[in-house]
Amino acid sequence: MGSRWTGIFWSFVFLAVPVLGVATFAVAPAFDIWLPKDVSSDGATIDSLFMFILILTGVVFVITEGLLFWFLWKYDAAKATGPATYVHGNHTLEVVWAVIPAGVLLFLAIYQMNTWANVKMRRPAMSPTLEVVGRQFEWRLRYPGRDGTLGTPDDLFLVNDLHVPVDEDILIQLKSMDVLHSFFLPNLRVKQDAVPGMKIPVWFKATQTGQFDIVCAELCGWGHYKMAGQITIESRKDFNAWLDSMYAKQEATQPEPAAVALAE
Amino acid sequence: MQLANCLTEIGRQASRLAFLLLCTLVLASVIGCGATPPAYFRPNMVESTKQRLNPEQERQVATVLLAMFGTPDHPVALAETGLNEAKLHLAAGPVRSDIVGRKNGLYREHCAHCHGITGDGLGPTAAFLNPYPRDYRPGVFKFKSTERADKPTQADLVRILHNGIAGTSMPSFALLSETKIEALAEYVKYLTIRGETELTLIRAFFELDDDAKGTLPETREFLVEETLTPIAAKWQAAPAAAIPVPPIPANIDLVASIAKGRELFYGDKANCVKCHGVTGLGDGQANDYDDWNKVIVEADKEIRSGTEQASQASTAGMSPEQLADHRLQLVWLEKFHQVLDGDALTPRTIPPRNLRQGIYRGGRRPLDLYYRIYAGINGAPMPAAKGTVPPEDIWHIVNYVRSLPYEFDGELGADRPMVAPNRF
Repeated sequence: MGSRWTGIFWSFVFLAVPVLGVATFAVAPAFDIWLPKDVSSDGATIDSLFMFILILTGVVFVITEGLLFWFLWKYDAAKATGPATYVHGNHTLEVVWAVIPAGVLLFLAIYQMNTWANVKMRRPAMSPTLEVVGRQFEWRLRYPGRDGTLGTPDDLFLVNDLHVPVDEDILIQLKSMDVLHSFFLPNLRVKQDAVPGMKIPVWFKATQTGQFDIVCAELCGWGHYKMAGQITIESRKDFNAWLDSMYAKQEATQPEPAAVALAE
Repeated sequence: MQLANCLTEIGRQASRLAFLLLCTLVLASVIGCGATPPAYFRPNMVESTKQRLNPEQERQVATVLLAMFGTPDHPVALAETGLNEAKLHLAAGPVRSDIVGRKNGLYREHCAHCHGITGDGLGPTAAFLNPYPRDYRPGVFKFKSTERADKPTQADLVRILHNGIAGTSMPSFALLSETKIEALAEYVKYLTIRGETELTLIRAFFELDDDAKGTLPETREFLVEETLTPIAAKWQAAPAAAIPVPPIPANIDLVASIAKGRELFYGDKANCVKCHGVTGLGDGQANDYDDWNKVIVEADKEIRSGTEQASQASTAGMSPEQLADHRLQLVWLEKFHQVLDGDALTPRTIPPRNLRQGIYRGGRRPLDLYYRIYAGINGAPMPAAKGTVPPEDIWHIVNYVRSLPYEFDGELGADRPMVAPNRF
């Protein structure tokens, strides 16, 4: 049996868990390891849901860990030398601390339904802006071209270099050529598994221009870590100009003059 | 008294933790965070075994190559190669940051795991890929804008790096900066020139006269002027070997052009259906090899026939010299067999391209298809239509081929359309 200080020492070790846990989240934004910049129309709602759940669970976390510390401290064997008592349990308490979390979870489930439906169920009524096919280890893109229909000879084929116009509804048809991938746009709060054999719609609306990442979020093989692409959000005018220039390049019937760099 | 107890207890607990930490550190240092041995170029064992080089000769080739080209960490580019050593240094060596914070070791980061440190297409990932990654050492490249037997231009290499090769595991490096892509293209040229020099040196032993006593002359004249310079000259001549591309015939519309192309596709001059099949599915034939696999297939045949012969020879009536030769032959066959096991991938036939899928490895521009049809594909059985089909007519074939993934009334009939979206 150790001395009193054993109990004190280990009580404080366990107290470090909630203290450091909360501290990490508090300083994370200062170290730039927090949520990526959000440039989507639905992002604010999703982020606020995240924060709500974080704070709710954080409070519960601190309370339960605090209680753990308190019991370690108060009932240290070196100090609490009285006889142990057998307690049959407290039925009311058990019901309370089962019902309250259940209620909280039910509340969360209902509270987030609308946002989920917006992102995953209420597909905008439009034809796809483009088709994205995940393949080991790249994102193959296919724009429908001037006729607006995918699968016709005027389609534009690209790899990894996704462009979309800003402030417009974008509908992507997501497929996979081989194994499971996951189309993840961190800055647009979009993530959807690409399942072989399925054609899955993904939609979003970008609110700011810029260049952001596309990453693969489902382990797909040895190159999963480098299955990254780039999404460029630009004005409709720039987007159209880009489409035209890429299509002209695709239909080239003469070699480019040597002076023109191939950086496109 | 209390304080002493407190400190003792904290000391006891802390020392328990410290002991655990110490154990972990010892374990970690035993397992090692130590420096890995430096990378080295692998010799072309298939060729040197095929040419029956002895160990001294193999060593000589390795020494000469070390002097002429350096190591994977410290490349050397003689002026005769025309390579830019600064670009090579950006691509060579282990992945690290240089003094200005730029990332070096690009080849090892992006390419070596498939193409190998030596550029021999024998990286650790290579065996799992179909098609195999390119072996640069023969100096043969498939998708370029130059005549069949010529080298690719710088722009061709950059294009492949930029777009990748659709339908293969070669990814697109479009997200890398232009400097990095150029450095990688330069390093690929370096590995290719090194590989070609190695092959030439290995084959040069056969041409030696008796005075040389089985050793190559290590003179600048032989090594640089007679061996290296002709190889480098072919690379420098590549832009001059660009395929001339006539403009699209202006007096014919697309539908008529496709019809004419169809005629040529099924005709005798171009004879595309022989390999690509009457359906365009690539089922015309299936038993040819590309140049890289052909080497292994032929080596395999040589070993098989040699082994059969050797096993059938009866040693009873042999003179001492014949017996010695026979034993040497058996040793050589065994060595060659082991080399193929360790230094070569299982050969695969090269199927003719399925033209109904709309996936074109060398690029999907009409220009790219023109290049492929006009000059054929170097290293592959795809023949050149140059000489048999007039250049303007090749455009008609190009238009027909481009319509194949969308053709509704082709050989398979209207009730089974080969619609591109379903096959993508």
